[in-house]
Amino acid sequence: MIALPTNKDENWRYANLRPLAKAKADAVAAEAATHAAITLPAALPGYERWVFVDGRFAADLSAPAPDSCAALLNARDAGEDFSAMLDAAIATEGADLALARVNGTRGDQVLHIAPPDGAEANIELTFIASAGAATGTSYPRVQVHAGRGAHLRIVERHLSSGSADSAINAAFDLALRADATIDHCRLQNFADAASAYDTLLAHVGERATYRLRTITLGGLASRSTILVKLAGRAARCELTAGSIANGIQTHDVFAEIEHSNADTVTRELYRGIATDRGKLGFNGKMIVRESAPGADSDQSLKTLLTGTGAEASIRPQLEIYTDKVRAKHGATTGKLDEQMLFYLLSRGIDRRTAQTLLQWAFIEDVISRMDCAPLRVEIELLVAAQLNEVSALEGLLGP
Amino acid sequence: MTAATPLLEISNLSAKVGGKNVLHGLSLTVNAGEVHAIMGPNGSGKSTLAYVLAGRPGYEITGGGVKFQGRDLLTMEPEERARAGMFLGFQYPVEIPGVNNVYLLKAAVNAKRKATGQPEVDAYEFLQLVRGKMKLMQMDESFLSRGVNEGFSGGEKKRNEILQMLVLEPALAVLDETDSGLDIDALKVVARGVNSLRAADRGVLLITHYQRLLDHIVPDQVHVLARGRIARSGDKSLAHELEKRGYDWVLEVA
Repeated sequence: MIALPTNKDENWRYANLRPLAKAKADAVAAEAATHAAITLPAALPGYERWVFVDGRFAADLSAPAPDSCAALLNARDAGEDFSAMLDAAIATEGADLALARVNGTRGDQVLHIAPPDGAEANIELTFIASAGAATGTSYPRVQVHAGRGAHLRIVERHLSSGSADSAINAAFDLALRADATIDHCRLQNFADAASAYDTLLAHVGERATYRLRTITLGGLASRSTILVKLAGRAARCELTAGSIANGIQTHDVFAEIEHSNADTVTRELYRGIATDRGKLGFNGKMIVRESAPGADSDQSLKTLLTGTGAEASIRPQLEIYTDKVRAKHGATTGKLDEQMLFYLLSRGIDRRTAQTLLQWAFIEDVISRMDCAPLRVEIELLVAAQLNEVSALEGLLGP
Repeated sequence: MTAATPLLEISNLSAKVGGKNVLHGLSLTVNAGEVHAIMGPNGSGKSTLAYVLAGRPGYEITGGGVKFQGRDLLTMEPEERARAGMFLGFQYPVEIPGVNNVYLLKAAVNAKRKATGQPEVDAYEFLQLVRGKMKLMQMDESFLSRGVNEGFSGGEKKRNEILQMLVLEPALAVLDETDSGLDIDALKVVARGVNSLRAADRGVLLITHYQRLLDHIVPDQVHVLARGRIARSGDKSLAHELEKRGYDWVLEVA
């Protein structure tokens, strides 16, 4: 039995782990999933579609390309080749990988995406949760292996069908060969009662670029563990994460980016809004090894608290073992800017709309970076709904 | 409001900011159709007066009152003042990335229309109106889709303030050092914008440190603000006299 992380573990202090401990650990049974009631977002033009319900592939809802570079594998057949590629140092990080290991032992399906050298592919992954936690846990698992110079675009959504207290433990492993690019946009908008945990490992090769843009809106508890290794010379990671925690939601992220080769670059941006009694955690750790002269990292972490009971914990951390490095970091937690608020009021805009607008402006940094236009529009509407003010923001939404 | 009711009537106004008394019994009346210039040295209370009129938080009224179109201005929220026709052109307009200019303009116009029971502005007509005003202000159309004042130069920000004023068509525009930081060409553009708004039913309160703006926007009256009250009032020749003799002259007399 794999020991689950607890709040005593260094990188897990802020996570809400209770729902996971209470959920039935077995995978949701295949027959529990009914697809009739599921409404999917419109298909994205130019993207092949892979839909999973409670962690299992739903062929009836999917539309893979005939010559797809993605294939569904049995968990036991997958991963050996892949895990050999992962750096041993990452693979031994105890508590941080515990959930991914649980996923590996409990889940039975793996989506393997492997665009060959020089290929381009656009893949939409939509994970629907419908079963309650008492029925079992969903274990989505995706492995990505981008060949040399390949360009892969992934749009990944996590949504609920219904309002069940689903428990999800997802695992993503990505490897980018030299000169590969992955543009990865992720949306988590589960039902309020759901709890979502995910682990993402990325191994970025020489001159390869991994862009991850995530936005977290749903779930009672949400925890993302992101471990990126910039392994090849001039490897680059752009991580943009946004979160809005309302009510009693807890959204927590641990992101560790390790620069282990020369001239590696990180751009990290986090914007979180906590309203009501929402809680946000973002722990951004940058490691620059001795083997990474010329590394360049930029970290901008900001949270906005608008509720009287709202909380945020943001921790920028730098561990630098070489002198030849450029590392910039900034972290702020604050309330709405009074000057901006007064400016809007002085133009006749009512207070509630002005406050919503400023929250919108704050999170817009993240939304604008979602480079898949239809997804961006979808996210804009969801964000407006999360801010409880769709009508006020109408003029700002759309392509 | 009857024809005889002044647009703005400030009586014996005293105000504090940050625990410090800044306005000491200031009185001033602006009638519809008039442009008044308020000049004065730094720290005389010019910006405080502008902020008090617009309702910025943090300013405590310790005495006197202000009537706007006959209504008690000081009990109104900042957004109510704006909808009633008060406009503040900021000395330092803030940047609001993520909210674009066209959205702000439209939201502001609709807030005002809603307050007076009018339907929302037609999107096409609105855009035509804004484009016309932008042309007057020599602003590129790309401004519309940019974030409010985001990355604007000092001059662009001031032009944007005047553009907002032209679109909102306020009954009273309070322009707080709109001329500061402008080169002569930009100053002329801003002046043209302000002059285009002059009308029998409107008033302008022009707060400025320098006389040069008044060559382009000719005021009906000039007031010198010193130590929190009006120290001297006159016609436009007072501005020229100040330019020649400096503020010390007024301070000595006051």
